[in-house]
Order: sequence, then structure tokens, then C-alpha cells
Amino acid sequence: MATRANGDVELQDLIKAFGPVRAVDNINLHIPAGEFFSLLGSSGCGKTTTLRMIAGFEQPTHGKILLDGVDMTETPPHKRHVNTVFQSYALFPHLHVFDNVAFGLRRAKVEASEVKRRVGEALELVQLTGFEKRKPVQMSGGQQQRVALARALVLKPAVLLLDEPLGALDAKLRKQLQIELKTLQEQVGITFIYVTHDQEEALTMSDRIAVMSHGKVEQVAPPKQMYEEPATVFVADFLGVSNLMPAEASGDDGRGRCRVKLDSFDLLAGRGDSSASGATKVTIRPERVRLEAHGSTGENRMPAMVERWVYLGNSVQLIVRLATGQVIQALIQNSGDEIPFVQGTPVQVHFPVEALRVLIDTEASAPPIKGAAAKGAAA
Amino acid sequence: MTAIAVGSASAQRSALARARAWIANPWGRARFLVVVSWAYAISSILPVIIAIQFSFNSGRSVSAWQGFSLSKWYWGDPTNSVWHDSTLQNALLQSMKLAGLDMAIATPLGVLLALGLARWRGYGSGASNFLMLFPLVTPEIVMGVSLYLVFLYLFTFIHPSTLAQVLGHVTFSLSYVVVIIRGRLFSIGRQYEEAAADLGATPSETLRLVLLPLLMPAIFSSLMIVFAISIDDFVISQWLSCGGACDTIPIRIYSATRGAPLPSVNALAAIMVYFTLAALVSAYLLFRYLTRGERPAAGAHGATSMVGDMGAF
Repeated sequence: MATRANGDVELQDLIKAFGPVRAVDNINLHIPAGEFFSLLGSSGCGKTTTLRMIAGFEQPTHGKILLDGVDMTETPPHKRHVNTVFQSYALFPHLHVFDNVAFGLRRAKVEASEVKRRVGEALELVQLTGFEKRKPVQMSGGQQQRVALARALVLKPAVLLLDEPLGALDAKLRKQLQIELKTLQEQVGITFIYVTHDQEEALTMSDRIAVMSHGKVEQVAPPKQMYEEPATVFVADFLGVSNLMPAEASGDDGRGRCRVKLDSFDLLAGRGDSSASGATKVTIRPERVRLEAHGSTGENRMPAMVERWVYLGNSVQLIVRLATGQVIQALIQNSGDEIPFVQGTPVQVHFPVEALRVLIDTEASAPPIKGAAAKGAAA
Repeated sequence: MTAIAVGSASAQRSALARARAWIANPWGRARFLVVVSWAYAISSILPVIIAIQFSFNSGRSVSAWQGFSLSKWYWGDPTNSVWHDSTLQNALLQSMKLAGLDMAIATPLGVLLALGLARWRGYGSGASNFLMLFPLVTPEIVMGVSLYLVFLYLFTFIHPSTLAQVLGHVTFSLSYVVVIIRGRLFSIGRQYEEAAADLGATPSETLRLVLLPLLMPAIFSSLMIVFAISIDDFVISQWLSCGGACDTIPIRIYSATRGAPLPSVNALAAIMVYFTLAALVSAYLLFRYLTRGERPAAGAHGATSMVGDMGAF
């Protein structure tokens, strides 16, 4: 019996090409054992293809996949110590829950009494004790998803791969299962590699996130860092609202802040590469934007008009048009106080220096700055 | 007065419009569709019923009803009834033999062929897929003659016989099986195979434990279709026939019709129908029993079962 693997996954120079198209373009990732790692991106970015290569359902065109230092690129999927939870659950419809969960154990020639015990444990883990004789078609989506989870976990794999497992569920159930999955992962201690296009899901559950676009990894970072310090314009725009504004940067002001010019307004950006110059984009999160009474003075302030007032329940979203013509969003938490800004009134917008971030626009023709890329890769 | 005249004219017109709407409303009950469907079903079954009816004819005519006689042509008449006429019995036996062998050989081969073709992603897959369809589109007479020539010049060690007939039947039945199984495989998708492999099943275990059970309805359909086309086959069976001993029911009926047909051939055909019906009904009941766990319980909002709601297909 092989020693139980720890679950350390490494992807080296991974490329997957379908004809001339590179679905996965030179990915290098290292996922330490026990981590909840998410691959985040929109459809077609290569995250599912990457997952399928780790599972063994696709052969990489180039590159290596290592599990605990052992190259498993050539190993067929039924011999790898990884298990997958599929987006469609793929529960065998002709078998009931017990047989579904016991399937992998029986393939491994585990004896019957042991099978019974472990299946019972796995079902208890996902809170489905008593469902042994049900068929998949007789259960709800959430229950089916839990059976799929139990079926994968009962084999005690080194790594669990999850391909958008919560996609088919309603919002409330999804939130509940997100927390359950996270708790489960902490309890069991297995490495989870989770593919999703829902950034909120990724932010909630992951220890680290890799944002992917067009087959490449844009940035790898823990959620807080990913949200507050996006390395590229794509990442900033993908997670949350980014309030991206084009600006002309003119280098460091001597105190580690970047001078940027929005039309005729001079601002200071306290985040990002302070030595940036030329065409750039600045970004600030809506909850950091401060609205003040019209006419207030100070650095990083500019006049604006409140265009729309959206009540969200726990907060108020204000769509504000700046004097430069840009439209941005500001978010004010509902603390019970009256919010003095009414639709159609002029205000003064304040971008606190330490919240304003300058980003090189890699989607424009400007070449990426080495500093930003290195920061992203090292995270 | 004018108002009433106008009223009745518009009432008439709207009556016609209402009638048309009543029949043709796509969102209402499907009345026109029901009528057409029933007409089709009845017009298909009517000839069969009439044929069976004449097997109970008390006279010797196959076209003039001369009274009801239950057993005359089945076992009553001492020379011409099915029970007493050995040529008819041999024909029945031969048809059953061919159909049975055809089902037993063509179905497993066809399933394996379909699996191979569906999973083949290299060079030659397109060509093989295309070539495999040829027996379906080739006219039967051409198939029959070609097979005869193959056994006459190429595989000369096989003479026209039951063996040749079986080989001929299997050759053209394969395409039907492959088409059915391949369609079902396509709709199942690769997910269950991937799930099984992911859980540690070797490819042969995946085939045995996951694919074959899921393919059961399609395999069942294939068996039924192979049976039907084998029983029905006339051209190929005749070209590869060794004479009287190899005659199948269609050949015998054809020969009888050339001469003076008796209702005993109707009886023979009717026996085939009874047998097929019994086989179908028992198979269906068995299928319902085996898949009883897959139909959602009343009130449960389960996901659709691929096996359950696709019936026999």
C-alpha cells in the first residue's frame, strides 16, 4: 500500500493546445498540501481544462504535473490519487447512494465490512445518513451534490478537484454549501482545487486564488490581497467593482506615491508602482470612495454630480459622475444615519491617497511593468 | 334589423373562425394531432388485424370470410394446418433460428463496434463511421446478390445454407445496432466514464459496471430491431437459401401466394405476431421491474433520470 500522499501539487510549464488554439498557455503553479486553492476566471479562460489535466482526462501538450514530487503526467486517471467532483455530479443513475459512494472502495478491493463503515462515515460527514437506499433521481440538487462529495472523499484522496460544483444550485443553498465545503476542507485537511467563475465564491472560501484569463494566470494571491492589491487591470476589473479610470502617470512624487493626472485634476496614488509613467489606469474600490459636501478642499478631491441613488438594503450605492465625465460607483454602508447626498446634487468626491491604486494597462499597447508581474507571481 | 343581420353574419364568420381555432390552436388540446395519430395507428394495425382474422376463417379462402373457426388452420385440419404441415413448421423454426442467432451475434458485436467508433479519435475514424452506414442505405436486392457472389467466389467454403443466411443477416443488422447504440452513447456523454475512471475503475470495469447498465435500454431496443428485421427479411434469406430446408416464413408465404394460398399461412404469420407480442410485453414488464427505483417518487423534485424518462430508448 503506497504511503498516503500529502497533496502537494505542482504544475510546470503546462500547455494544452487544441489545434492552433492554446486553451492553457504556460502555467506554473505550486499548491502546497492542505490548501483551498481556487482557479477563478470567466468562461473559456482555461481553468476547467487545467483541472481536467490534473485529473487525467486531458493530456497536456507540454509540461508536467507533479503530485508530492512524483510526475503523474503519464499516469492514467484511474491510477491517480486525486478525485473529482463534477459540475453535473455524474452520479451513476442505476446505482443507489450506498453503491455510488462505495464504488471507488470496491474498485480498490476493500473488504465489505470496511466498505460499510467508511461509507457510513462519509455520509455522516456530508449529513446524509439514512439516504443509502435512495437513487440519485429521487434526491434534490443539493443532496446529489453532497453524495458526489461523499463519493470522492470516502477514498481519502490527496487532492480533491471540484469543477464548479455549486453552479446548479439556488443562491441560498449555494451560500450554505460554500460554508459547509470550507468547514469540511478544514476538518479533513485535504488539498482542494476549486474551479469557479463566481468571484464571491472564490473570495469566501479560498486560501489563495489564481485568476486566469485566456489560458494564462494573471495573478495568484490570498483573497484579501487579490481584492485590495490587484496586480493587473484585468484582475482589478474581474473582482468586485473597480472604478477604473484612465490617467496619465508622471512618476514618483518623492514620497512613494505616484503622480497621476485625470484630465485636468492632479491626484496622488498611494498604491501600485509609484514610478509608473505614461498611459495608465487608476482604480479605487467603491467602499473606499468618500463623498463630501460640495466645495470641500484637500488633496485628491474633485467635484462630481450624484446621478443615481440605489438602495441595496445593507448599503447604498451611489452612481456618481465626475467632473471629467467618468462615472464611478461609491458604496456607503447603511449605519442608520441619514445619507445627505441626494440624486441630482453636486458633491465633492475624495479618493483617499492610500486607497487609490495605479495600474499599468496590460490590455492596451503598453508593455507590462516587470515589478507588477513579479509581485503577482511571488504571492 | 340591420344590427341583427350584421350580428348573425359576424356570428357565422366567428363560428367558422372559432371552429378553425378550436382545431388548430397550438396551445390548446392537440385535437388535430390526436385525430391524425389515431388514424395512422389504426391504418397501420388494420391490415395485421385482417390477416389474423382470416387465420380464423372456416373456409379455404384468404379473401372471403366464410365463418369463424378457431382451430382449423392452427391445429384442426389434418393436412394443411400449421400443426400438421411440416413445411410451415420448418419455416417457422428457420425464421426463429435465424432471428435468434442474428440477435445473439449482431447485438454484442454492434455494441462493441459502436463503443469503438464513438471513442476513436484518430485517423480513419471519419471513414469508418461513414463506411459502417453503407448496409443501411444499400438496396436489399443489391446486398442479397453481392452476398451471394461473395460466398460463390470469395468464401467458397461457405455454401448457401443456414450459416450463410446467418452471416448475411448479421452483416446488415450490425449497422442498425451501431446507429442505435452510438446515439445513446452520445446522449449519455463521457461524464460517467470519467467519473468511474476517477474513482479507480479500469476501462474494462467501467465498461462492465457503468456503460453496459446505462446502455441496457438501447441494447434492448437493438435486440428488438434486429429481431424485427431478421424475421422480416426476404431478399437476403432467399439468395442465400439452400432450398426447402432453409426457407424462412417470408419465403414460404411468398411461394404459397404464387400458388393457391390457404389461411394456414395467415395462421403462421399470426403465430409470429403472438410470439413477438408476448416477448415484447414480458420484456417491457421486466424492464419496468428492473428500473422501478429510477422513477422519481411522487412529490420528489429529483433531477431527470436519463434511463427512466427515455423509456426503451
